[in-house]
Amino acid sequence: MKDLLRQKRLRHALILLFTLIIFAVPFLVTNNYYLSVLVIIGIHTIVVVGLCLLMGYAGQISLGHAAFYGLGAYTSGILTSTYNVSPWLAMLAGAVGTGIIAYLIGIPIFRLKEHYLALATLGLGLIIHVVLMEEVELTGGPSGLSKGIPYLSIGSLVFNNDFKYYFLVWILALLAVILANNVVHSRIGRALRSIHGSEFAAQSLGVDTGRHKLQVFALSAIYASVAGSLYAHYITFISPSPFGLMTSVQFVVMAVVGGLASIWGPILGVSVITVMAEGLKEFMPLLIPQAGGEYEIVVYGIILVVIMIFMPDGLTATLVKAYESWRYRKERPNETS
Amino acid sequence: MKLLEVTELTKSFGGVHAVSNISFSVSAGEIVAVIGPNGAGKTTLFNLMTGVYPPTHGHIYFKGTDITSLPTHKVAALGIARTFQNLQIFNNMTVLENVMVGRHIRSRTGLLGAVFPLWPVQSEESKIVESSLEKLALTGLADKAMEPAGSLPYGQQKMLEIARAIALEPELLLLDEPAAGLNSSETRELVDIIYTLRDQGITIILVEHDMETVMEITDRLVVLNFGNKLAEGTPYEIQNNQEVITAYLGEEGF
Repeated sequence: MKDLLRQKRLRHALILLFTLIIFAVPFLVTNNYYLSVLVIIGIHTIVVVGLCLLMGYAGQISLGHAAFYGLGAYTSGILTSTYNVSPWLAMLAGAVGTGIIAYLIGIPIFRLKEHYLALATLGLGLIIHVVLMEEVELTGGPSGLSKGIPYLSIGSLVFNNDFKYYFLVWILALLAVILANNVVHSRIGRALRSIHGSEFAAQSLGVDTGRHKLQVFALSAIYASVAGSLYAHYITFISPSPFGLMTSVQFVVMAVVGGLASIWGPILGVSVITVMAEGLKEFMPLLIPQAGGEYEIVVYGIILVVIMIFMPDGLTATLVKAYESWRYRKERPNETS
Repeated sequence: MKLLEVTELTKSFGGVHAVSNISFSVSAGEIVAVIGPNGAGKTTLFNLMTGVYPPTHGHIYFKGTDITSLPTHKVAALGIARTFQNLQIFNNMTVLENVMVGRHIRSRTGLLGAVFPLWPVQSEESKIVESSLEKLALTGLADKAMEPAGSLPYGQQKMLEIARAIALEPELLLLDEPAAGLNSSETRELVDIIYTLRDQGITIILVEHDMETVMEITDRLVVLNFGNKLAEGTPYEIQNNQEVITAYLGEEGF
């Protein structure tokens, strides 16, 4: 019991520390470009936190999460620009709608396992992307929503610049982490992890594995949808291109790089990959002048392979282990291991 | 009324009858062993009883309810728990968390409660911890609670499976080769635990190869051979059954 309490306190301390960092950063970073990168990192973090619940804890893969991200963005975009619905209400509608869609689609899809499940979610992502491209009347087709999407606001506070949006996004990202943390340390979280550990044994203990997989799939879709809404109100213009297969793969890479079974992994993974992608945009043309956008997928592939070989538990776990062995050596300076 | 009643149970995989026309019943409070040479269909029988796959023919009744072809998690919810011949520990969790999963059907927190854990959820959570620690104490693992389950030695992992299964508060506990791989002192400990569980009112069916232990602790035995029921009776009857001796030792005997 004492150890449990200590663990809980450690978790709370980490959250507090992280909150302080979040609030300090925008006062240190004054460059608008850097701030906008941080906003995107925050938005992606929300998606990847949900994806980690699905992949890291329940052990189920999704290669179609950009579709849910897109559903959220488009629900917000269309409802607010075409139908003048309040942005917050539109965000909620997107979240609920996407959750329901994910649950219903999940019923047939989650009869599959592993590679087959990966392929099915891939197909799902492609289908939703095609709908965004082809339903021209509703979505504006490949050229995107023509009408402007309004900024989010609370009372007279309008989130119309990077500085303000940074706080909004990161408070929500923090909330996403805290709520996911709650799930992980709950009856449902244990059930999900037990599915990952041994689905056979989980069922023998009365865990309705099918239902729990669907629930976490829907929950992770809701996370993606909220992030999509935030994206739409940040950029204020959306087209189908950021919601395709490439983005889905990017989310998976971010989750794997950060470490799947860690609720802090997403922040690290998203940061590393986003900063690297931005860096590549800068340096790749200098290195190979004729390189197009395709190099990105090559780089993601290489990262994924390297991480899987050298740190299969992801960056977070590797760092934690390094810290623990450092502390171990510090406490016992005379021993050599 | 019998606690468990198996009638004319048959399971074929392709053309092979893994279990063929087996009937037997178990009363509340009994310790019954299912024995037989390798490949006799013992584990298949356990898998049928826990709904891992449906039988080709026949029925299984638990407390008078037909549980044939019920999915595994519903069988568990009715109060049948089991352990596995090949360990199925949740290696990604601590010892305590493994047992806490065993409390799944005895607690109710849903997804919403998991996301927003208000005090009813928290008080349920501490009850789960409390009763899980009790089960760990019973199986001698109390001081290992916070360790990663995968780091336990083999014998303790087997005990952990038992702790996890009884956390479910089953009426019927199925133990698949609980003594396999245990040394003699661990086997002794296992026997004590089985008696404790019986005294708590849990009915136990076990598959086991360690004949000395089986003959000592069971009230009754069911002997399988090539998927068929060869014999049924008390340890004394089985030990003196000519057919059983032949199946185990061959035609010549001693």
